[in-house]
Amino acid sequence: MATTAVSGTKPMPQERRHGSKLARQERVAGYLFATPALIGLLGFTALPILASLVLVFLHYDLLTPPHWAGLENVIRLGSDKRMFTIYWNTLRLVLGATVLNNVLGLLLAVGVNRSMPWFLRYFLRTSIFFPVLTTTASLAVVWRFLLTQDRGVVNYLIGQIGLGPVPWLSSSTWALVSAVIYDVWKSCGYLMVIYLAGLQGISQSYYEAAAIDGAGRFQQFRHITLPLISPTAFFAIVISLIGAFQIFDNVWVLTEGGPGDASRVIAMYIYEKAFKGFEMGYASAVSLTLFAILIILTLGQFYGARRWVHYE
Amino acid sequence: MATTVQVGSEIGVTRKEGRSFLYYIGELLLWILLIGIALYEIAPISWMVSTSLRDPKNSFDLPPDFLPTAFHWQNYVAVINSPDIEFLRFFWNSLKIALIVTGAQLLTCSMAGFAFGRLRFKGRDFLFGLFLASLMVPGTVTLIPSFILIRELNLMDTHWALILPGITSAFGVFLLRQHFMSLPQELIDAAKIDGAGYFRVYWQILLPLTGPALSALGIFTFLGAWNNFVGPLLFLRSWENYTFPIAIATLRGYMGSGNQSEVLAGIMISIFPILLVFLFAQRWIVQGAAITGMKG
Repeated sequence: MATTAVSGTKPMPQERRHGSKLARQERVAGYLFATPALIGLLGFTALPILASLVLVFLHYDLLTPPHWAGLENVIRLGSDKRMFTIYWNTLRLVLGATVLNNVLGLLLAVGVNRSMPWFLRYFLRTSIFFPVLTTTASLAVVWRFLLTQDRGVVNYLIGQIGLGPVPWLSSSTWALVSAVIYDVWKSCGYLMVIYLAGLQGISQSYYEAAAIDGAGRFQQFRHITLPLISPTAFFAIVISLIGAFQIFDNVWVLTEGGPGDASRVIAMYIYEKAFKGFEMGYASAVSLTLFAILIILTLGQFYGARRWVHYE
Repeated sequence: MATTVQVGSEIGVTRKEGRSFLYYIGELLLWILLIGIALYEIAPISWMVSTSLRDPKNSFDLPPDFLPTAFHWQNYVAVINSPDIEFLRFFWNSLKIALIVTGAQLLTCSMAGFAFGRLRFKGRDFLFGLFLASLMVPGTVTLIPSFILIRELNLMDTHWALILPGITSAFGVFLLRQHFMSLPQELIDAAKIDGAGYFRVYWQILLPLTGPALSALGIFTFLGAWNNFVGPLLFLRSWENYTFPIAIATLRGYMGSGNQSEVLAGIMISIFPILLVFLFAQRWIVQGAAITGMKG
């Protein structure tokens, strides 16, 4: 930002008039270079957003022409008990996944960042990060096999230490827990990498100074690592919250939202209202509530960040 | 990293009594946690490998294997040769779409990044602001109107329905703009004095210098496209257009619970290319994740 501002003010007025042909060339080049991305942005983000703002006021089932609905879709939101149940599920999933992913991600990053033989580091990084690269839907199929109640591997293993069998996917208490377990398995490696980058940006001299002052490892973590990692943590929490609110394929494959609505999440509900119930207007209304929640959460975090994020 | 060792040993001299029994317990617990989680992360994958190689008759047998005990490659052959599930076609569909989307995004994002980071034109900051604002828009919200748009354009059940929405990304534009801005102005001035036009400045002078950002964006765009689930679920109707993730999700229902080994062999085929690339380019990919993760 700063550099553009500076270079923007650099040319003197008469120099600019003098080089007006050059300036025009630069302007044309600017538009030409920006055009392809701009078309994509307008066509598949800006236009859809405007369209959903219109769709909210329509009844549209894709087959017959849309007709005016006024505020009916918006009013209906207030009495949609299913939506509130599903938002409650989503909230629990989001909280579980965000807290676990970030705590585990930070712990793993601190662990992997320690001195160790290269092959050990390679093994740890590879095995923890690899699930991030795999296809969510496909690995959910694998976890579905693993979590089967009767002949599943997980129940077999916990049976060896005398626990279970747990109805992972078929009970309304455990279905969401399974979705959290799968999400943490899948994404904690990503958070680890983000925290690792943050840790490597902390100057080693802080630790050296603290060690000379006699600070123990826990104190160093509490008073050096945590404050200095807080900008990274802030960012990591924002993106994991936004991601978790949109979880779809995880639950779609793992539990199909069941039993009943026990593990249905909001992205699934929007999808089903729109493409199974063909209520485009109402589904858009629900999707805009999600949009509003995400914006409020993000802005709220930026506001709250002043209290706990320390910039060097 | 090496410094930590030295620091540790220095402290060892000054605070020997500090290295108590508790210190070693803490150390031990940390290592158990680290290695335990690493094993936990890898176990489902190694179970999948082992089970995909089992005789289909025993695929459900317990205890489970986490290392292969049998080598029934015919599960893989069966999946590839299966008459009604054309795996190679899914593979090709996924690969084609992911490559086109990646190529298109690298081009459009770097062009726009160059324009926003290096050129002066009226409305630039406003247009770039649009890109920044759209970073906030979740994909779930644009799903419904995008569907209507694709339907109006008569692109349902074609791969264009997956390619067109992916030709650019606000995040990519942002990432590359930052990188273009960090390059020295002297390079551009020197090239201009030599008579290079804007396209040459972009293509021959600056683009080669954005390597790390470009490859990070490329890797994660490719992965995103390869793993895309909602798009194909929404837009693709006929079996022969299916991509891997959606084919596998369908396959599971289609084969019922009868043939776990073959389903797992199918999944293995779909993640094998990624595994291979990852094992060799691990450092790059992990760095790339950190670069793209630092967008905040």
